[in-house]
Amino acid sequence: MKSSLMRPAFALALALSLASCGGGKAKFPISGVITGLQYSGLVLSTNGMDLPVPTGATTFTFPNELEYGDVYDVTVKNQPQHQTCGPQLGTGSNTAGRLARINVSLGCVINSYTIGGTISGLTADGLVLANGSTGGTLAPSKGTEAFKYTFANPVQYNVTYGVTIITQPTGLTCTVANSTGVMGDANIENININCVPAG
Amino acid sequence: MKSSYLRASLALACTLALSACGGGNGNLLLGGSVSGINKEGLVLQNNGGSDLAISAPGQFVFKDLVGTDSNYDVTVKSIPSNVEKCEVTNGKGRAAFNILNILVTCTIKTHELKGTVTGLGNASGLVLVNGSDRQAVSAGATSFAMTKVSEDSPYGITILTQPAGLTCHVANGVGKMGTADVTGVQVSCVPSGA
Repeated sequence: MKSSLMRPAFALALALSLASCGGGKAKFPISGVITGLQYSGLVLSTNGMDLPVPTGATTFTFPNELEYGDVYDVTVKNQPQHQTCGPQLGTGSNTAGRLARINVSLGCVINSYTIGGTISGLTADGLVLANGSTGGTLAPSKGTEAFKYTFANPVQYNVTYGVTIITQPTGLTCTVANSTGVMGDANIENININCVPAG
Repeated sequence: MKSSYLRASLALACTLALSACGGGNGNLLLGGSVSGINKEGLVLQNNGGSDLAISAPGQFVFKDLVGTDSNYDVTVKSIPSNVEKCEVTNGKGRAAFNILNILVTCTIKTHELKGTVTGLGNASGLVLVNGSDRQAVSAGATSFAMTKVSEDSPYGITILTQPAGLTCHVANGVGKMGTADVTGVQVSCVPSGA
């Protein structure tokens, strides 16, 4: 009785696996989801395959499938412009068949860079700088020589920045050069501040 | 043996609770987290008492413990001067275990930041910036408005791009947002090289 039940079940399972895989062993496509991809240039790589991923894609699947037991390790071969992508912890590599299906979860963030410059002539305390209303403030202490400064909050690619002087130091008048711009792909280090005696 | 351990650990727990919390009738923590504040002024209450002053966002726990099966009702007694309102979620219930999921969500007041433009004429290309806020000013405009600014936050308007053939300057464009709208920022443009 028992074996007569098992036999049709086995036959059914075989039929299903044949239908889905065209015969032979089980195959595992290497696929996954992507969040936050906004720019072009992303190329993923695993098992000798390179897969360019177009702008705005939310899913990907490598052209060749793996067999049960094959090891995969999806890595970023080329980062997209202005962004950094990577697999979420624990989803990039595994052995095919350990999970019912391979689902790599890839996240992309827009790159951020610092803004700052050189302050010269700051012989008194009290200077307060701000990058707009949400970019943070900075209150550099006086220095006998010119020194570099950097805002704590970095600025995302393609976001504007504008450094202004909220409070002048005691007895000095400072001016800002190159105060405003749109963030590119590198740190901004030329927002220079020069202070001279007031009056 | 077992019950003596229990008694000892209960006594220890009581001692800890008393020393940490200044007494109280209960044995359960009552708290959660606060967001959207940046200065002092927020006072929370439980059942109309147990005032708890909070001055920074993050976790909070009432000093008075609450008893098992007692009702709690967390309300806002007062809010910081720059806050519009604070809303409490999961604030009411009956305590069966430590309650640490009360959310107090505050919204800081915002005010307008705007002003006048003179001399722009039909020139296009003027773009004003307040940090990450970017506003293009259309040709022919005589006024402009930036994104609203939180009370007590600094602001500083700068020019990202000048209009074609003109050079513009900003006056009264830097400061700290007070309790009222800022409406007097002046952008004046003159022909370049003039």
